[in-house]
This record gives sequence, structure tokens and C-alpha cells, in this order.
Amino acid sequence: MHQNISAHPSSYRDPSGFIFERDGVIYRQVNLSFKTEFDHFIETGCYNALVKQGLLIPHQEINENLTGSSGYYKTLRPEPIPFISYPYEWSFDMLKDAALLTLDVLKTAMDHGMILKDATPYNVQWYKGKMIFIDTLSFVKYEEKPWIAYRQFCEQFLAPLLLMHYTKTSLYQLQLAWIEGIPLHEASKLLPFRSRFSLHTFLHIHLHSKVSRREAGRTNKATVFSSQKMQNLITSLTLLINKLRAPVQPSNWQHYYAEAETRSTYLDSKKELVKDWIAQLKDISTSADLGANDGVFSRIAAQQGLTVLAADGDPYCVNTMHLDLKRSQEKNVQPLIMDLASPSPATGLNNQERDSFIQRLKPDLILALAVVHHLAIGRNIPLAHIARFFSATRHYLIIEFVPKEDSKVQLLLANKPDIYEHYSIDDFKNIFGTFFIIEKQELIAQSGRTLFLLRKK
Amino acid sequence: MQIILLYLDPGSGSYLMQFIAAAALGVAFFFRTIKMYVLAFFNRLFSFFRKKDKPST
Repeated sequence: MHQNISAHPSSYRDPSGFIFERDGVIYRQVNLSFKTEFDHFIETGCYNALVKQGLLIPHQEINENLTGSSGYYKTLRPEPIPFISYPYEWSFDMLKDAALLTLDVLKTAMDHGMILKDATPYNVQWYKGKMIFIDTLSFVKYEEKPWIAYRQFCEQFLAPLLLMHYTKTSLYQLQLAWIEGIPLHEASKLLPFRSRFSLHTFLHIHLHSKVSRREAGRTNKATVFSSQKMQNLITSLTLLINKLRAPVQPSNWQHYYAEAETRSTYLDSKKELVKDWIAQLKDISTSADLGANDGVFSRIAAQQGLTVLAADGDPYCVNTMHLDLKRSQEKNVQPLIMDLASPSPATGLNNQERDSFIQRLKPDLILALAVVHHLAIGRNIPLAHIARFFSATRHYLIIEFVPKEDSKVQLLLANKPDIYEHYSIDDFKNIFGTFFIIEKQELIAQSGRTLFLLRKK
Repeated sequence: MQIILLYLDPGSGSYLMQFIAAAALGVAFFFRTIKMYVLAFFNRLFSFFRKKDKPST
């Protein structure tokens, strides 16, 4: 391989090819060993059909061996994904969309005599308002054999979806604990007894788990598995997933803006200020709204032409936001579950396979509205640490300071002693002054809260 | 299919399970098709009578 060009640390499992980065551009190399399958994928029209339906990320073929590797067959340059996210950061319906997308991709592949050789949510990314399949090298010829990725699909899509459906959406976090999917045996044990009365759940999880344990270590007989049987399997998985719903659960945050509407002057003034300030900023294209709630301000930023990452720690809020964005066909706001006090860690092999949230967070502008008091007083994080966290922005930070006298802060302090003597607007300005220059500062209506536009030093 | 390309271990139980599921689903979908057919028949029948009951304008 050429100097400084090596496979991405996450791209080591599949010998068909790998992804690599050169000059900030992501490429995918197809290896010679995968030539027949890849040519078949293109020649049968499978690639075109998938791209036409918006199911697969389009790519351009580059006629150059950029890595210099001897196993080279082709170099592809897929359309870039603005922000790579992982299933443990997705809400229930985002994972459900990814599962249904994978089954749609599989159906289209079957129509072209091909099949998916893997079925993992890591092959799916959020792109222009929806989930899209990104692994162009997942397609192999269908040879009337059982589906090799069936167990992977059940463990990586079905198990977390079912666990959330039957219990709580906060179980999305199990996907971080079991990076290769929730083992069937564990999923079967964790699911409530009533889940056994669903034929599809019983087959794909409970019975599947039992049969897998009994058959472990035995070799497979080469038996024909007809396409009709395969279609039945796909239909069964689709029917089951379509029926799954995120359980309705009370959330502290779901009515935040509805409640804030009662303070409409405050909210309207804040919206106007944020809109005006963003409109005045030059040369910015990406933004991260941290503590986005249902994404009201993310949409304002998107209306100003920015690509926005709307992150919030409440899975219920993020799911509602995702469904609203889908309904309104908003393409520039990407929802994400993120606890700002404990963002996703780097994980996988050598801690390099999946980057941490901080490693991936490089927006031109960060919005941190009505969030500082939750971190400082709700989570006991000193202002200096908060300032360092928000210095992840490339250029600007629009941040709201909520004073101690504010009724919401008083609510946070109601049941604990006030040990926050360094939480004042002057402390805030001093400490944030180490990373930022104050460009603008304005009181929001009569709320006592102050909005700052800060520029990174 | 070259074996090198299939890097996943499907699990022997998962292979067997697909045969079991396909057999069970074959039966389930057979009855589902009959059910859909019967429902569609009665739907057509009811909509026919509803149309007939409507006074002509």
C-alpha cells in the first residue's frame, strides 16, 4: 500500500475489500478476490435498482489503484456521509427504519439473483433525511442456500428492537454493551414470557436460540433452501418489525417546549435571536444542536442552510423528533441520542473501530440552548469542563446562560444543597473566555437568561 | 461462491432454524392467504349490497 494509506480500523472483517481515507475523502477498494461477485452486482442491474430506489449510497468508480495493493480490482468513491453515527445512538424508530431498509435491500437483491452476505446496522447510515445502506460489497450470488446473515440480523436488529418494544426504549444502550449484537440466548431470557405468543418472535428469537444451542458445533449439510422459503423468511421478519412500536413512556422532556410555549415571549425572542445570529455567520455549513430536545432550534439552523446534528440524551424525545422530521421530510437535521455528560466512547478493536462522539464532532457551530445549568447543577460538572467540551466547535458557539435565580435552576436545587458558588454570569464569561471570544451577548426577553455568541480563539 | 468471501459464521443452528421457520411459515402463510381471500370476498359482497341499498340519484 502507498505511504499513509491504510484500511480504516473498522474495515478488517470482510476480505472482499476495505474502506480507506485519502486527503479527507473516503474511498472503498474492491479486491480482486471479489471481482466476480462485484461485476455480477453491477451487470445484473442490482446496483442501479438499489440506487434508483434510494436504498443504497451511490458511488463513482475511480480508475486508479490509490492504495497500490496487489489485490486491487476497483476503487469506488461513495457519496460522503456528513456524520457517521452508530446504532447505540439511534432511537427506536431509527433502528426500525434501518432494519426495514436492510430487508428492502435484501428483497431487491433477491430480485436480481443476489443476497446479502451480512446484515448489520453498521452497514446503514443516516443520509439526507433517511437511513441508507452503505456497504456496496455486501452482495453475493444467491445459490439457494439458507441466509448466512440470518443470525446476525436477528441479533443485531431484531433482538434490540424486540427488547425495546416489550420494555423500554432506553434499552438501546444494550447495543453498546454487545457490539456484535445481543446474543439470542440473552435476548430470549430478557424478553417477557408473553413475547412467546407471537409466532414470528417465537421462531426468530426463542426457538432460534434453543436450536442454536443444541446444534452448536455441528456442520451444515448442503441442502437446498428455495427462494420461496427465503421470501417467506423475509416476509415474516418484515411483518414482525412493522408491528413493533416504541412503548409510550413518560419523559421529563417530552413536553418541554409545549411548556415553554407558556413563556412564549421568551421562546419567540430566543428563536429570533438564534435565527438572526446564524444568518450573520459567514462560511459555516455544519452545526450541532446539543441538548436539542424535539429539535425546534435544529430546524431553525437547518432553515438557514446548515446541516444539523440534533443530539439529546432522552431517547423518547429523539424518537419523537425523528418521526416528526420524517413526516415533514426535513433532510438536513440528523437526530441522535447522546448524553452530553457521558458521550459515546471509542469502542471495538483497539478502541479504533468506532470513534467516540467527541472524535466525530467537528461542527462549524454548536448550539447549547438551556443546557448549561443541567450540566453544571444537574450533573455537578464544573464550568471549565463544560467550556472545554463545547470547544469541540470549529468556529462558533451559541450558548444560553441560565442564572441561579431562574425557576428551572431553583427546581434543580430544590432537593440538594447549593454548593455552586462559582455559577454566575461573571464566572461563566471568565471561564468560557479561555476558549472563546464573546462576539454578542443579549438578555432574552424578560427571562433573566442571557444568550451568547462566542467565537473560538 | 468462494468460501473466502463468506466471512460470517452463520451458526449451524441458524441454518437448521431457517428450515424449521420456513416450514412453519409455509403453513402459517397458507392459512393467512385463505383468511385474506375470505375477508376480501366478504368485503366485496358487503360493498356490493351497500351499493345496491343506496338510492339511485
